[in-house]
Formats: sequence, C-alpha cells, structure tokens
Amino acid sequence: MGTIGNPRDYLILTNNPLVPACMEGKGLYTIDFRPELSYREILTLVRDKVYLGHTLYTHPLAGSVKPNETPYKSVIVSMVPHQFDSQQAEIIANAIAVFDKFKPIGWELNERILRDFQLIDYTLLAGAIGFDAAAGLSKKI
Amino acid sequence: MKLELGYIQINDIQFSKECKVEANTLYVDPDAVKAFMYEDDDVKAWVKDFSFDVAKPGESVRITPVKDVIEPRVKVEGPGGMFPGVISKVDTVGSGKTHVLRGMAVVTAGKIVGFQEGIIDMTGPGADYTPFSKLNNFVVVAEPAEGYQDHKHEYEHAVRIAGLRAAVFIGELGRNVTPDESEEFETLGIKEGIEEYPDLPRVAYVHMLQSQGLLHDTYVYGVDAKRTLTTIINPTETMDGAIISGNCVSACDKNTTYHHQNNPVVKAMFAAHGKTLNYVCNIITNENVYLADKQRSSDWTAKLCRLLDLDGAIVSQEGFGNPDTDLIMNTKKIELQGVKTTIITDEYAGQDGKSQSLADADPLADAVVTGGNANEVIILPKLDKVIGTLDYVDVIAGGHAGSLRPDGTIEAELQVITGATNEMGFNRLSAR
Amino acid sequence: MSYKVVHYINQFFANIGGEEMAHVAPELRDGIVGPGLAFNQAWKGEAEIAKTIVCGDSYFAEHEADAKSQILEWVKAEKPDFFLAGPAFNAGRYGYACATICAAVQDELGIPVLTGMYEENPGADLKNKILIVATANSAAGMRKAAPAMAKLALKIMKGEKLGASCEEGYMPNGIRKNFFEKKVGAERAVDMLVAKLNGKPFTTEYPMPSFDRVAPNPAVKDLSHATIALCTSGGIVPKGNPDHIESSSASHYGEYCIAGVQELTSEGYETAHGGYDPVYANADPNRVLPVDVMRDFEREGKIGKLHDYFYTTVGNGTSVANAKSFAAEYAQKLLQAGVHAVIMTST
Repeated sequence: MGTIGNPRDYLILTNNPLVPACMEGKGLYTIDFRPELSYREILTLVRDKVYLGHTLYTHPLAGSVKPNETPYKSVIVSMVPHQFDSQQAEIIANAIAVFDKFKPIGWELNERILRDFQLIDYTLLAGAIGFDAAAGLSKKI
Repeated sequence: MKLELGYIQINDIQFSKECKVEANTLYVDPDAVKAFMYEDDDVKAWVKDFSFDVAKPGESVRITPVKDVIEPRVKVEGPGGMFPGVISKVDTVGSGKTHVLRGMAVVTAGKIVGFQEGIIDMTGPGADYTPFSKLNNFVVVAEPAEGYQDHKHEYEHAVRIAGLRAAVFIGELGRNVTPDESEEFETLGIKEGIEEYPDLPRVAYVHMLQSQGLLHDTYVYGVDAKRTLTTIINPTETMDGAIISGNCVSACDKNTTYHHQNNPVVKAMFAAHGKTLNYVCNIITNENVYLADKQRSSDWTAKLCRLLDLDGAIVSQEGFGNPDTDLIMNTKKIELQGVKTTIITDEYAGQDGKSQSLADADPLADAVVTGGNANEVIILPKLDKVIGTLDYVDVIAGGHAGSLRPDGTIEAELQVITGATNEMGFNRLSAR
Repeated sequence: MSYKVVHYINQFFANIGGEEMAHVAPELRDGIVGPGLAFNQAWKGEAEIAKTIVCGDSYFAEHEADAKSQILEWVKAEKPDFFLAGPAFNAGRYGYACATICAAVQDELGIPVLTGMYEENPGADLKNKILIVATANSAAGMRKAAPAMAKLALKIMKGEKLGASCEEGYMPNGIRKNFFEKKVGAERAVDMLVAKLNGKPFTTEYPMPSFDRVAPNPAVKDLSHATIALCTSGGIVPKGNPDHIESSSASHYGEYCIAGVQELTSEGYETAHGGYDPVYANADPNRVLPVDVMRDFEREGKIGKLHDYFYTTVGNGTSVANAKSFAAEYAQKLLQAGVHAVIMTST
C-alpha cells in the first residue's frame, strides 16, 4: 500500500545503482548508496542498525529472486534508532541465515541480466513505499 | 452463491483453419488466436510477434521459460465473464454455469527478463514434478517489441493479457459444447450455513497472494493485490478467473492462473463440505514488502477469522523467503484468536536438506503440510524438442553455471520446474 | 559373497540375565546371539552377522570410555561392512549404549551403523547423528522392528539411495528428503485440520524448529550497584583444563574463581572448545570471556562488582538437555551469591 510512515525517517541502504539514479532527490527519504557492498554485506549492515534500535521498514528478503542469483539488495531502515524490536532482529537474522544456505551459483551475469536484477530490486523497493517506479525510470531515461 | 462447472474433456489439440471443439479435440487456428490477442492495444504495442506450438503428455518436449499457465473456460450462464476486471467487465462472477476445457492449458512462454524461469517437461523425471506435463498444452511464445528493455512493466502486462486473451478465445469454443461431466459448488450465507450444518466446524481458506512488485504480482478483479486490504471472496469466484497471476519469479512455488482457477484447497474443502466441516469462505490476504503492511494484513486476517466465528482455517502461501514471515504472522495471530490452523508451504532446506527450511517459525504453527524441498537437485535428460529457448537455463533460479551440460542434460534444483513445490498443495510431493 | 555385520546387544538379550547381571563386561562371541537370528533370517544370506558383542548396560554406563575402546578394537579387527546395535525398545541405558557405540563406530571407524529404539528412549537424542529406526516401546515389538531394521541396513550396505524418513522407518534426522505422498497437499491439509479440530492425533510434515524461549527479566535499574557474573559456552578454562571439560559434547561445566584477576592472560587461561579456531581465544582469552572490560567497568563505577566466580562449558555439540541442566544448577549458585545479572558469551 505504501503510503504509511514518515518518509523523512526512511534510510534506504542499497548497493543497486538504479535506486539513486531513479530516486535521488525525488522524496524526503535518504539514500545511502553503497556500491562496494555485497548483498550479504547490505544485510549485515541492516542487521547492525536493527541491533542499534533502528526500525526495519521493509522485509530484507523482498521478492522471490533467490539471494544467490541477484547481487542487488535494497532495504529501508529508520534514519535514527527508535527502539530495539526483537521480532525485527529475528527477521534480519533469519534473512542472513537464508542467504547463507544458498550455494554460490558461479555464473557471470551479463549487463542485460544485471539491469533486470537492478530493475526488480528497484521496483520492489519503490512499490513498498509508494514511489512511482515508472516515473522514476522515465526521468532517468 | 452456486456455480456449476461443466467439464469438456480435451484429449488432443490440432491446428486447423476451422476453430471448434469436437469429439474431445480442440481444433484451433493460431492466426485467429493471434488476431484476437492483438485486439488489445498493449499487446499491439509491446509484442512483436507470437509463435504457437502444441505439447502433449509423453512427448519428448521441454517448454521454457514458462510465464503463465491458464485453463480455457467460458461463462455460459450467470453474470459476468472470464477474468473479470481484466478481460471481462468487473461484474461479480462465481454463479451460474461455466464450461471448462479440461485436460488442456494455454502456456505462455518467452523472455521477459534475463533470468526468466520455469521449465515444463512433458516426459521423463521432470514431468513427475509438474502437473502441467499431464495436460495438452497450447503454447504461446511471445517475442518482445523493440525497446521493451526499458519497459518491463508494460511488456509483462502485455504478455499476461495476451495469455488470458488466448484462453478466453479458446474457452469460447466450448460455449455450445455439451459437457462430459458436471459438478456443482455452493457457498451458503453465514446464517444459512450455521443452520444447515449446526454440528460441523466452521472452516475458511486463508489464501495468501504474492504482491510485491514487478514480476511478483497478483490481481483480484483487476486490482493489484498489494493495494488491497485482506478481504473475503466466494470460492466459486476464483473458478471464474477472479484472481490471476502476474508472478514470474520462483517457478516452483508461484501460483499460476491455472492454480487459481483450479485451487486444490478449494477443491478439497468443497469435497469435505457438509461431511467433516462447513466451508465458510475464502479470505484473501497479500504478501507485501513493507513490514507494516504485513502486520496490518495479518492483523486483518485474524480479525476476519474471529468475526466469522471460525473454528479452523487452512493457510496457503506463495513464493519464497519473505512470505514465510506473512505465513507465520497469519498463523500465529489466527491461532491466538482460538481458531485452529493447518498451513501449506514448501521448503528451502539447502541441497543437502540440512538447513532451516523456512525463514520464520513459530511453535503455534504445529500443523504444516509441505510441498517439498525446492533445493533438492534433479537431473533432467535431454529432450528432443524445446519450445521457447534454453538460453536461460543456466541463469534461472535453481540453475548454476554449467546447469545445461554438454550432453544436453540439465542439472539443477527442483526450483526450476514450474509448479513443482506448489504451496496451495496442488501436488503429491512432500518431504520429511 | 554376503556382507559382514557385527551386532551389539546387552546382557538381557544375550540371555545372561536382567538387572542383576547388568554389570558384565563386554564380551565378543562368534556368530549370532539372541535377536541376531531375526536379522540373519531377514537378510536371506545377502548379509550375515559374523560376531556379536555383548555388554552389560550398567557396565557401559559406568565404564563408558573403557567399554567403548574395547568394543572399537574388536570391531576394527573384524572389519565388518556394517555395525548393528539393538533394538533397545524402551530400555534407557541400553538405548544410550546402542546409540553411543554406533556413533563411535561411525565416527572413528567410518563403518555405517544402525540401531533401533522407542522414540522416547534417551538414546534417541542422537537421532540427528546416527540412523535410528523407531520401534515399539517393548520387546514385543521385535517381530516388526527386526525386519524393518534389516531392510534399511541392507539398503545402506548396498549403497542404495535413502528415501525420506517416513518411507524408510528411521527417525527424522534433520535431513529433509522429498518423496511423493498418496494424496495431494491440499487434501492432506484438510485431513490434518479436521483431525486437529476433533482433538485427534495428527503429525505435522514439518516440525517447527523448537526454540526454548525465555522471557527476559526486567532490566537491571542500577548497574552501578549490581553484581554481574560472566558465563560462557566458549570453553574458557584455567590453563591445563583442570576439570577436563570435553572439547565437544561436554558432559559438565566448570566453576572458577577470578577474584582479584584483572584480566585473563594466555599464560593462565585457554579454551577447551574444539569447534572453532582457538588461536585468537588462546592468545587473549578476554576475547571470549571479557574479564578485562568488566574490571574497567568496575573501576569506572559503571557496574558495582564483577562476581568472583565464572561458569564455563563447551557449547560444541553439547546436547540441549545437558546445557539446560548445567545452567539450572549454576543459576542457583548465582542466586545464592546475590548476583544481579549475567553476561553469557558464546562463540
């Protein structure tokens, strides 16, 4: 539904270049773009924030794309710590456990596939917070 | 609400200039189907061309990458038409009479994204895992128009609509055919049901719908499920295509439109209705990305279960990973309302079967039916013919570099097979 | 040529006697003894019991290390294709012996093993480690148990692929295996729900991992006057491991005084844990048991006092039941000593 919450409190942690490309400067949220981080490193970054009391706004395993297929991950947490939530801590800890049980695939992703994975990750994120994904894309293009 | 399904058994599909159903055979002109699909502007805009093929049970044929599977049906009596809010007007369906072309399906295939998934083998070990190997499949392979790369939403929509239109066109051919067999399904009003079956436990089906975004969507009467609140729907409405699939990811445990039309929980609940339970209704609830949405939707599910004074509920899931959280939230909250649950899921227990199967767990979920471990490795033999393309086999969920081996066999996880670990409980596959 | 099997049974099944003879030491006999006959018959010559080892249940329990090494020596010398134990049904010490000796033969000699017992037999705790066939709870179940065990044993000897636990009859061992049920999932779900609604027994196809959740106590209001204890499952012990805490599957815990100890030095302490690379823990044991930081807090007045004793064990493969009983015991000691809070470190 994506119209809830306070966008000023949204901190988007992402390693997906399409997210800043389409969303930077178009809302009240903050984007922390970390191209150097892996999918798993984004998850651990999220975990550390949740442990510090940041609110987990989106599910870290959004989408059915398996974590060993796509290199991209975007998760929204709160800008500042609110209160530690053990259920959210469990969700992010379980997400890392899920990541670890998939075997590395070992294929080389070509540019076209990378773009598709970026697109999926971006649209799932956009959909979660009611950001018009198509509009973001068209401005980018 | 009462619906009669008239089953017209289809044992063969033949291409022919004349379109008709006769003697349990579908005769169909691909050009006519194509013309009907192109009547839609979005299809016109985004699909460059279609090619057609037929795959029959037992043939040495592999269909891949599969997008959707749809059963042709036609509404012959009662309000509304097939796929309301999408192909037909938005009138309430689920009553009157519907003809079903049973034993066949329309399968849409072709690339949408670079890692498009889904394999249907018509013979060999892979065929044991997909229910669609038992059907005569009318396969529609779509080819995207130029520039689709930057318009994946639009293209996915166009292929989705094209598949539904093909099914509507073919379903229409069964309008004036006398069914081989008929079956009636009726859902009573709340009070009527209690009066009719005062001693039977009141049970509903909590049907979770994948609703996360591009390639992960489900539509209810044309509404994107992620923008819905948990609500009630008559089981028979789903038989008339009230719920359709826009889900292209996680081939093994996504619910195709065919699954929605032939929902096995609906079928099993109707079979038990009036005997061991009183089947009250379906509750549809979404699986969103935003955690507060998950909380709201599952709160709402539990609230409806209480409001309906249920004794029990069956909860089914769709997709991988984060829906485990919705599943557990729903189950826990429903149980805490004093309503007993049984849930249907599948597992990702790793190739060795030793990992934790679900991404979430709760002791209240003490009655679980599983569709099997999607990570289990399977070897698929080389088949004589491929409909679609094998380009994607290395890069589909459950595949890996070298999945497609030099001898033409495929080594991959069960995940690659369309419908293999379905979480509505469509199959016999299980795990311990 | 048939497969060669060594069979382990207790004094009772060897007809030596009951409880009064449970003290007998292990003994090696040629050929079959007691229930071995049923196995040999079931195998119809495809496999055969070459030797039978008989051991008293009390003897095994009281001299586990000796019994184990003697039995391993005999099995090693015999070079069998398979090692079979029991079935033990509901006999607790017999079940424990069967499971323990099977695990030892499997781990140390690399020979495939199988035992059988009732699901609630304490020996069944090892079901994730070794294959155990579920049997009835009394020896009257032998007629069913022996053929089921024999069939599964032969399958393993032949190197055939193992099916799911419910197909083959072994206890679920945490390894998920696919198979085809007779009914589709939705029908199974309806059957299960109807059973649940009617208070009838049903078996979940996927038991939820069981977490023993403990509701946290209210926060300590004033840390500056609180006594805090350190406990660990990371195996930190005084150098030389004076109480011989096992490097895995620990059977006890240690209690050590750290009154006046300002930090743990590599000269004074080390880890007994066998499940992680000990280099960093041995170089600076404070990394696992942070005595140094606690002393800083003490000096800074952040906490009132570090408790004079720490409690330690090895969490490597240690059974939940053991871990629970350790903690239940030393929690009482902590309470008596007036400790307000505990920091439990793991690895």
